[in-house]
Amino acid sequence: MSATGIGAAVRRKEDQRFITGSGNYTSDITRPGEVRAYFVRSPHAHATIKKVNTKAAEKMPGVVAVLTGADLANDKIGGLICGWAITSKDGTPMKMGAHPAVAADKVRCVGDAVAVVLAETLRQARDAAEAVEVDYGVLPSVVDPAKAAAKGAPQIHDVAPNNMIYDWHLGDKAATDAAFASAKHVTKLDIINNRLVPNAMEPRAAIAEYDQGNDALTLWNTSQNPHVARLVISAFVGMAPEHKLRVIAPDVGGGFGSKIFIYPEEVVALWAARRVKRPVKWVSDRSEAFLTDAHGRDHVTKAELALDANHKITGLRVHTIANIGAYMSTFSSSVPTYLYATLLSGQYAIPAIYAEVDAVYTNTAPVDAYRGAGRPEATFVVERLVEVAARELGVDPAELRRKNFVKSFPHQTPVIMAYDAGDYDASLTKAMNMIDYKNFGQRKAASEKNGKLRGIGFSTYIEACGIAPSQAVGSLGAGVGLWESAEVRVNPTGSVEILTGSHSHGQGHETTFAQLVSDRLGVPIETVSIVHGDTDKVQFGMGTYGSRSGAVGMSAIVKALDKIEAKAKKVAGYMMEASGDDIEFKDGKFTVKGTDKSVGWGDVTLNAYIAHKFTGGQLEPGLKEGAFYDPTNFTFPAGCHIAEVEIDPETGKTTIANWVAVDDFGNIINPMIVEGQVHGGIAQGVGQALLEGAHYNSDGQLVTGSFMDYAMPRAADLPSFKVDTTLTPCPSNPLGIKGCGEAGAIASPAALINAITNAVGHENVPMPATPSTVWKAAQGGMKKAAE
Amino acid sequence: MPNVTITVNGKSHTVDVAPETLLVELLREKLRLTGTHVGCDTSQCGACVVHVDGAAVKSCTMLAMTADGAKVTTIEGLANGSALHPMQEAFREHHGLQCGFCTPGMIMSAVDIVNRKGSELDEHTIREELEGNICRCTGYHNIVKAVAAGAKAMKGGAKPARAAE
Amino acid sequence: MALEMSGEYDLPQKREIVWRALNDPAMLEKCIPGCETLDKLSDTEFQATVKLSIGPVSARFKGKVKLEDIDAPNGYKIVGEGEGGVAGFAKAQASVALADEGEGCKLTYKAEAATGGKIAQLGQRLISGSAKKTADRFFENFVEALKEYK
Repeated sequence: MSATGIGAAVRRKEDQRFITGSGNYTSDITRPGEVRAYFVRSPHAHATIKKVNTKAAEKMPGVVAVLTGADLANDKIGGLICGWAITSKDGTPMKMGAHPAVAADKVRCVGDAVAVVLAETLRQARDAAEAVEVDYGVLPSVVDPAKAAAKGAPQIHDVAPNNMIYDWHLGDKAATDAAFASAKHVTKLDIINNRLVPNAMEPRAAIAEYDQGNDALTLWNTSQNPHVARLVISAFVGMAPEHKLRVIAPDVGGGFGSKIFIYPEEVVALWAARRVKRPVKWVSDRSEAFLTDAHGRDHVTKAELALDANHKITGLRVHTIANIGAYMSTFSSSVPTYLYATLLSGQYAIPAIYAEVDAVYTNTAPVDAYRGAGRPEATFVVERLVEVAARELGVDPAELRRKNFVKSFPHQTPVIMAYDAGDYDASLTKAMNMIDYKNFGQRKAASEKNGKLRGIGFSTYIEACGIAPSQAVGSLGAGVGLWESAEVRVNPTGSVEILTGSHSHGQGHETTFAQLVSDRLGVPIETVSIVHGDTDKVQFGMGTYGSRSGAVGMSAIVKALDKIEAKAKKVAGYMMEASGDDIEFKDGKFTVKGTDKSVGWGDVTLNAYIAHKFTGGQLEPGLKEGAFYDPTNFTFPAGCHIAEVEIDPETGKTTIANWVAVDDFGNIINPMIVEGQVHGGIAQGVGQALLEGAHYNSDGQLVTGSFMDYAMPRAADLPSFKVDTTLTPCPSNPLGIKGCGEAGAIASPAALINAITNAVGHENVPMPATPSTVWKAAQGGMKKAAE
Repeated sequence: MPNVTITVNGKSHTVDVAPETLLVELLREKLRLTGTHVGCDTSQCGACVVHVDGAAVKSCTMLAMTADGAKVTTIEGLANGSALHPMQEAFREHHGLQCGFCTPGMIMSAVDIVNRKGSELDEHTIREELEGNICRCTGYHNIVKAVAAGAKAMKGGAKPARAAE
Repeated sequence: MALEMSGEYDLPQKREIVWRALNDPAMLEKCIPGCETLDKLSDTEFQATVKLSIGPVSARFKGKVKLEDIDAPNGYKIVGEGEGGVAGFAKAQASVALADEGEGCKLTYKAEAATGGKIAQLGQRLISGSAKKTADRFFENFVEALKEYK
């Protein structure tokens, strides 16, 4: 292994600018002549808009324009769409209500935009927004997904009677019912997967600029996938043709899913920039982010697990109500369906599974993919069921898992997925050793001596990453393909530029992608640069989400590098008067097989461009190749997290005493970065399990709308983690990579709640398990134990 | 409009500001020092931490006029020319950042912790002292390691030891 | 509505006088905390501007105050609803009942309040305290003003 090649813990190239304050985030950018945008937003969860009076605001100092939903409609700017078509049980398509970027007739959640003020300064825009008078006709609202479809619930979109977007199912109902009918033991759980606010530290932002001379628009925005943003804003919103719209996502300060989606504000910025013929800059403040960023999770689930006399799992049955919010965000429909129910087999060989999912509108912010997207919800269902089943059956939860693990591959589950490789025993065993499971009893006794409760909980999770192949996801309703593109441009002096459709917003692509190139071409890592996030530079790409950049994005680079190598060999052949087929390439050197004749990388790249050694008829000059890579399957990272907690029954405070994570991510490019991804994922999962919960009151007001009320994990809430890996290479891509970005967030909530319920002695501990929740549970649990 | 005279990263500026201008707005918008970030509007996240007369301050909570006559250090002024400050070096060495957005505030807070608490910092102290800085990417694990290593290096005036691989 | 409050006050005036005071716009303007203007639209409807601060959010609310369920001289319901622009909205209603007691009379009230928009989002933890304080201050002001009321 070279010091900068595959497998090395190379320090990140991008860090130099971030640690010196030289990053270039969207809000850092200023365009000459820009105006600032400030949105007037609905304070009501559900209301008709009777009148919007902008007269007074327009006369305020510095105001350039005040635009409303009616203006947007007059200019024929299309609405936002959800790009994944889901079909209900009866074959009818999902019922998608219109989503104008600025509401004209009706607002459907607090924070819905009703007007936008453009002014010379932000303060002027904000002051003028105060003067916009909106006359609302307040309507009753509903925020609880379990109540949204009830008779008499407020009707949010006319196209969706009873607020039902789809009632979808997956699996074999008859076979599953039969498994339950003949089961020896059935474990049942009611689960609420709590609603979360992603809260990337950089709030969303957009700057739009109109070039009158070329009738072209440029958008700088905080996007995880600028090309898809351009496609949607062009093809569906109808803002401008694709070739007249450039989208640039510069440094992006975290995404976690929330920056995948196409949002109203970027549409408005583009539209407004063309109307006022000046650049328009909008930067979300945190309060706006809480109201308008797509939230995550929010499932209400009834789940059952059937087991036979030998403790083999024979069936799993799930009914889930998924809250989609007030509008269908870009990929919202896929999250509680194909990213959720397809993972309900977990790491287990389960013969029969049946899942029903009802997706409903409510008067809340849109809900879409958030780190893990559907897979944390599935893992929580499966891993809680298995743990509780073990407790009910009086068997060791590790052994019940082991007994039911999938042990041979490939393994076809009853819910679409074909697992390609894994060794679930290996990660479980390693994790148990790392946490010293066999001596847990001693530690528990020691805690009890101090008046504390101690518990341990497992989560043997599986996820599906690098969603693909395109043909398969297309057949499931996806509106796009899920391949990735890469272009390798080799300069005459031998330095290399990689243009990738992946987008880095914390993942460290500038380092890991360069490691791959350095390793493959034998060139110093400093001579490789990674270009991403600009639709004028990178031709097309699908962006970064779903842990896909390694498995899919880097595989595309490998394909392009294959072509580079093939062409460079031809150049070398002409240089050494040998056939290209006789050239070997290793460590940056081209050698004629069986001889000591060789030329170096830099000689070959120069000769590719000066083209003195071959004619145009023999070979095209230049050294630049592109590739699109469409994988053959999803990848299936899996592993085992074990959480050990100590609870003070007097205060309900949960302390994480130990945390081990053993993950199988396939081959690893940079272990330092992979560990960092695991740490961050666990922190978000711990946040979900212990601290975070987005709460709307009965009037539809978000009462956890700031960092004062929404408990983000802070340093003192978390322990240091013990992280390790096992390895089964992924057979579905050339690098054997599985993906690591979401695993921590997927695995950890179940491990933690399993540990807490183990400590308190009963199962009713909803997330977030705040001290007051745990205190109540501990009191109940202790009483129960005393009885 | 009143004006404010302020020394930022060793350079004196006299700037006209509206009375309600916040220090962070002065830094980002008037002086174009965009390394100091704004991550919230309730003084919780710490992305905007700078040093005012040697002490860490959330620059979103301080009026620019209050900083009249003050000496301010931002993340852009922490390095000594091209030589990184030991705390900056430690954050890179220990992978204490991912998206980089909270990083300037984190590093400025970390330096302040060392200034107040000394260079031998245990994990508990570091975690408690980072109360006012939120990171969504790293789970803090590597930030804690970076602060401990950076603290040691600040004392020694040397580069932090390379992390175990 | 999100928040409920109640209270009672012993008043130093006869019920009929208290009732008249409760229907007197000048009295209401004087007693509603933060009330800047109160213009009579009809006997039971007023246009009001009220300045309110809840936690970090301070705003001028413009709206209407209405008197409903009038049962002279025993009580009524006073309903207020105002829009505070970017800050959001606030609404409150209080059922007020009067009963003779000794030389004076006893006033009891049951009130509900709700807020929306930024004021709910940022001021949430402070709303119950603020609302209770606002209600208390109204009746305290009222008791005080009654002393000289003719």
